Amino acid sequence: MSTLITDNDVHPHSEAVTKAPRLLLVGNPNVGKSVIFGYLTGKYVTVSNYPGTTVEVSRGKMRYSGQDWEVIDTPGVNSLSPQSDDERVTRDMLLDADPDVIVQVADAKNLRRTLLITSQLAELGRPMVLVLNMLDEARTRGIEIDVEGISKLFGIPVVPTVAVEGEGLYQLFKTIHQAKVPLDPLANQRLRLLNGDEFAQALQNTRGGNLPVHLTIEWLQTHDSNLRQGVESWLNRNTAGSVWQDAASRTRIRATAARLNEMRNAFLDQAVGQYKKVLPGVFQEAQGYKLKLGLGLLVLGVLLFAYTELGRLFGLPTPYGLVNGWLDQSVIPAALNWLGSVNLGWLGTLLLGKLADDGSTYETGLLYPALTQFVLLIAPVILPLAFVLRRSERFTERLGYWTRNWRTGVPLMLVVLLLMYEFVGVIGAGTLVDALENNIFNGFLTPRLQSLLPAGIIHDFLVGEYGLISVGLTYALAIVLPIVATFFIAFGMLEDSGYLPRLAILSDRVFRVMGLNGKAVLPMVLGLGCDTMATMTTRILETKKERLIATLLLALGVPCSAQLGVMLALSASLSLGAVLTIGGVVLSQMFLVGFLSSKIIKGRRGDFIFEIPPIRVPVFSNVWKKTRYRMWWYLTEALPLFLLGTLILFVLDRVRVPTPWGRLSGLDMINNSLAPLVTGILDLPQRTAQVLVLGFLRRDYGAAGLYDMVEKGLLTPVQIVVALIVLTLFIPCVANFFMIIREQGLKKALYILAFITPFAITVGGVVSWILRALKIHF
Amino acid sequence: MHNWLSQEIVEVLEAVWTNEERGNADAAELCAVAMTDVTEELLATCERDGYVTRHNGEVKLTPLGRQTAGEIIRRHRLAERLVVDVLGMTLEESEADACEFEHLLAPNVTDAICTLLGHPRFCPHNHPIPEGACCRQTEERVNSLVTSLDRLNVGEQAQVAYVSADNFPRIQKLFALGLAPGVPVKVHQKTPSYVIQCDETQIALERDIARNIYVWRRAINGAA
Repeated sequence: MSTLITDNDVHPHSEAVTKAPRLLLVGNPNVGKSVIFGYLTGKYVTVSNYPGTTVEVSRGKMRYSGQDWEVIDTPGVNSLSPQSDDERVTRDMLLDADPDVIVQVADAKNLRRTLLITSQLAELGRPMVLVLNMLDEARTRGIEIDVEGISKLFGIPVVPTVAVEGEGLYQLFKTIHQAKVPLDPLANQRLRLLNGDEFAQALQNTRGGNLPVHLTIEWLQTHDSNLRQGVESWLNRNTAGSVWQDAASRTRIRATAARLNEMRNAFLDQAVGQYKKVLPGVFQEAQGYKLKLGLGLLVLGVLLFAYTELGRLFGLPTPYGLVNGWLDQSVIPAALNWLGSVNLGWLGTLLLGKLADDGSTYETGLLYPALTQFVLLIAPVILPLAFVLRRSERFTERLGYWTRNWRTGVPLMLVVLLLMYEFVGVIGAGTLVDALENNIFNGFLTPRLQSLLPAGIIHDFLVGEYGLISVGLTYALAIVLPIVATFFIAFGMLEDSGYLPRLAILSDRVFRVMGLNGKAVLPMVLGLGCDTMATMTTRILETKKERLIATLLLALGVPCSAQLGVMLALSASLSLGAVLTIGGVVLSQMFLVGFLSSKIIKGRRGDFIFEIPPIRVPVFSNVWKKTRYRMWWYLTEALPLFLLGTLILFVLDRVRVPTPWGRLSGLDMINNSLAPLVTGILDLPQRTAQVLVLGFLRRDYGAAGLYDMVEKGLLTPVQIVVALIVLTLFIPCVANFFMIIREQGLKKALYILAFITPFAITVGGVVSWILRALKIHF
Repeated sequence: MHNWLSQEIVEVLEAVWTNEERGNADAAELCAVAMTDVTEELLATCERDGYVTRHNGEVKLTPLGRQTAGEIIRRHRLAERLVVDVLGMTLEESEADACEFEHLLAPNVTDAICTLLGHPRFCPHNHPIPEGACCRQTEERVNSLVTSLDRLNVGEQAQVAYVSADNFPRIQKLFALGLAPGVPVKVHQKTPSYVIQCDETQIALERDIARNIYVWRRAINGAA
C-alpha cells in the first residue's frame, strides 16, 4: 500500500497554523545525515549501510528562534523517483509531511548525484538549504567545489561541512532561517519540452499548476506495482479524464520521460563541469612505525585466530587453552575463595561461575570464560584491524578489493563467519546462556521461589513443570535473549562496516539458482538473527517474485539465532556426521524449493545493481543503539509468545478429559492424536509431538523443549537429527506467520503454510527412513 | 539475389518486418506503418519476387524476405545509433538522416559501423537490431569506438555513451547512482559480479546489465 498522497497534500498548509514548524533532512545514503540530525536535535540515531533498517524514520525536537521545531530524518535516497521502499518512504514524506524547511545533506565528493536530488527537490518548490558534507574527503581527493556558484544556480544557501568533526555545523544551524525556495534551473527547458504534451497539460491544470510534472512522469515509469498504483489512483482523483490510461499515451509518456531524463542529464553534465574542479589528489598516507606495528599485530591476530581454531579441532595446545587452563587451575579458585571470604561469594558466582561439586571444573559465569574468549580470540583480530583501517586509506581500499573477489573473498568470508560463530555461538549461546540459566534462573530464582511458595496451583503456575517463570521467562530471558543480543551486535557491526554488500557480490551466483539475486543475502543473514524481522526486510528486494521466494525460503530453512543457539548446544551431543546431515538436508531442500519455486512462480528477477559503500570502522555507539532497538523489538515480540506458549502447555497439562482410554490431559491427547505421524512416520517418541506443536508457536521454544528431552536422555542421535530437521523446516513461529500475512497477504501465507507443514514432515520421514534403512546410528 | 531494390520495395519490406515484430500480419496495418503508400501493385511485386506471401489479407515474409528485410532494418537501426551516439543528434533529428544512411550503406560498411559501435543490440528507440555476421564473431578485429561495458578489460577506463535497456526504471536506477551518458567509468572487476567505479561511487552490477551499458573506449581526461 502506498501512502503517497493524503488529504494533507490536497490541501497544503491547511494545518499550518497549529503545527510546529517542520524540518526534513533528505540525502543519499551514508552522507552523514544522521550526524547532522544528532547535532540539530541532540538525539543520535542509527547510521547504517543497508536499506532495510533505516526505513524506520527518526524524529526529534529542535529549539530554534523561539519555536519548537520537529526534525525528521528520512531514509537515504539516490533519487526522488523511488526505486526502493526507502526511497518511497522519503518521497511520501516529502509530499505528506508538509515540511517548512528541507535540508539536503550531500557528499561533496559526489556532486553529480547531489545535484540530481537538488534539481528534483527544486521542482517541489519548498524552502531548502544544501549541506555539502565530507568536505575533508573531497579535499584529499583534490575535488574543489564552487560553493558560491551552486548557491547562485539554485538561489539557496549552501553550507560546506565536515559533520563528524563538527566543522560548519553551527553555520548550518544559523542558516536554517535563510532557507529559500530554490530556483528551478530546468523550468524553462521543461516548459518548452512539455509544450503541447497532452498529459503534461492535464497535470498542470491540477492543484493550481504547482504539481511536480517531471517527477510525476518519472513516478509513472516504475516497475514496482505498489508504487505505481499509488500514483495512478491519485492521478485518477486529481486529473480530468484518463489522459494516461490507454497504451498509446503510456508509450508517449514513456518517451516524454526519456526526453526529460536526457534533459536532466545534460544539465547535470554541464553543472558538474562548471562547479567541480579536480586537481591532483593529496592523499595522506600514514607512514611510519605505528602503521607497520598495527599491520604486524593484525597478521599476528589472524594467525593466532586460525591456529586456535585449528588447534581446537585437532586437540593441539593453543595459547587460548593454556591461558584458560592456568586461570582454571589457580586464578579463578583463588579469586572465588577471596570473594567468598569478604562475603561477595554471590558476585563471584555471577561473574566467574562456581566450582562444580567434584571441585575440579567450573560452571560458567557472566565474565569467565566469555572475557578470555573475547580477549584472546576476537580482540586480537578486530582491534588492530580497526586501527589500521582508520590510519591507512590504501589498506582500506585493498581490503575492499579482497572482500569482493572470489579468491580472497571466500576465505575472508569464512573468517568473518567464524568470528561471528565465536561471538554469537560460543560467547552468547554458550557462556552467557549457561551463566544466566544456571546461576540466575535455575540456580537462584526458581529454587528460591519454589521454597517460598506453598505447594498448590500458584506454585505450579509460576515455577512448576510448565511454570511461567521456571519455563517461559527462563526460556525467553536466559536462553534466547543473550543469543539474540550477541547476534544483533555482530550483525550491526557487519552492517555498519559496509561488509554486507560485498557478501551480496560473492553470493549473487548462488542466489540466482533460486530466482533471486545477491541482494537476498541481506534478509537471509538477518534471518539467522530473527526470521520475522528478516521477512519484513524482504521489501528491499525489487520484484514480487523475489519477495515471495525469499519469504518462503526464510520460513522454510533459515534457523533464527535463538533456534541456532539451542541447536548448537544440542549438536554438542551429536557427532560431526549428524550435524553435517542436518545442515546438508536443510540446505539442499532450500536449494531445491528455491529452484523449483523460481520456475513455478511467475514474474521476473530484479536487477542486481548495488552501491558498494567503502569499508568503514563501525562506531560502536551506533551499533549498540541499533542493537538496543532490535532487542526491544524482539522482546516485545517474543516474550508474550513465550509466556503464552507456557500458559497453553500449563493448561493442556492440567485439563483432564474423560476418554475411552481413561482421563487424559490435553498434552496426552495431542501426543496421542499425532502419534501416527510422530511415531509412525518420523519414528520419534510420542512426547515430541508437543514439542513440534509448540515449535509452531516459536521454533526456538520447540528447540528448547527438544533440548530438555535430550538432556533427559529420551532421544537417540538419529531421532535428534530427524526432529531438528523437521523443526527447522517448519514455519519459524506464529509471529513470523503473521508477518508473512502482513507482507504477502493471507492467501499466499496460507499457501506457504500448506506447503511447508507436510513438506517438513515428509522430508523428516524420508530422512528417518533412509537412516534406518542404512543402519546409521551416528 | 537482390542488388538494388527500389526505394518503395525497401519501405514495404521494412513495414512488414516492423509489423511482424509487433506480432501483426494484417495487411491493412501495413499502410499505417509504412512511410510510403503500400499499393496492391507493390505488394504484388514483392510477392512475385519471393519476398512475401499473401494469404487472407495477411502479409508474411518468406525466408528470403526475412533475410533481406533483416538487413535493411539492421542498416536503418545501426544508422540511427550512429547519428545519435557519434554525431550526438536527438531521436527526432536522427530519423531523416537514418533513412538517408540506410540506403547508402553497403553490407561490409554496415558491419564496420556495427563493430565501431560495439555491436549494439538495440536502436535508440529500443527496438532490437538484427544480428549481423560481425556480431557473431567473437574476435574483434577492428577496435570498436563504442563498446559494451562487459567487453572492457579489468582496470580499463571509458566514458558512458548510452544505456540501452527496454526498462526505464533500470536507467533511472543507474542514473541515480551517477551512471549516465558522459560520465567516466572504470572497471574494477568482472567476477563474481561486475564492480565499476563511477565518479566516487562503486557500483556492483550483474553481467546482463553491464552488457547494456555502452561506453566510449577513450575516456576523456579531466571530465568528471
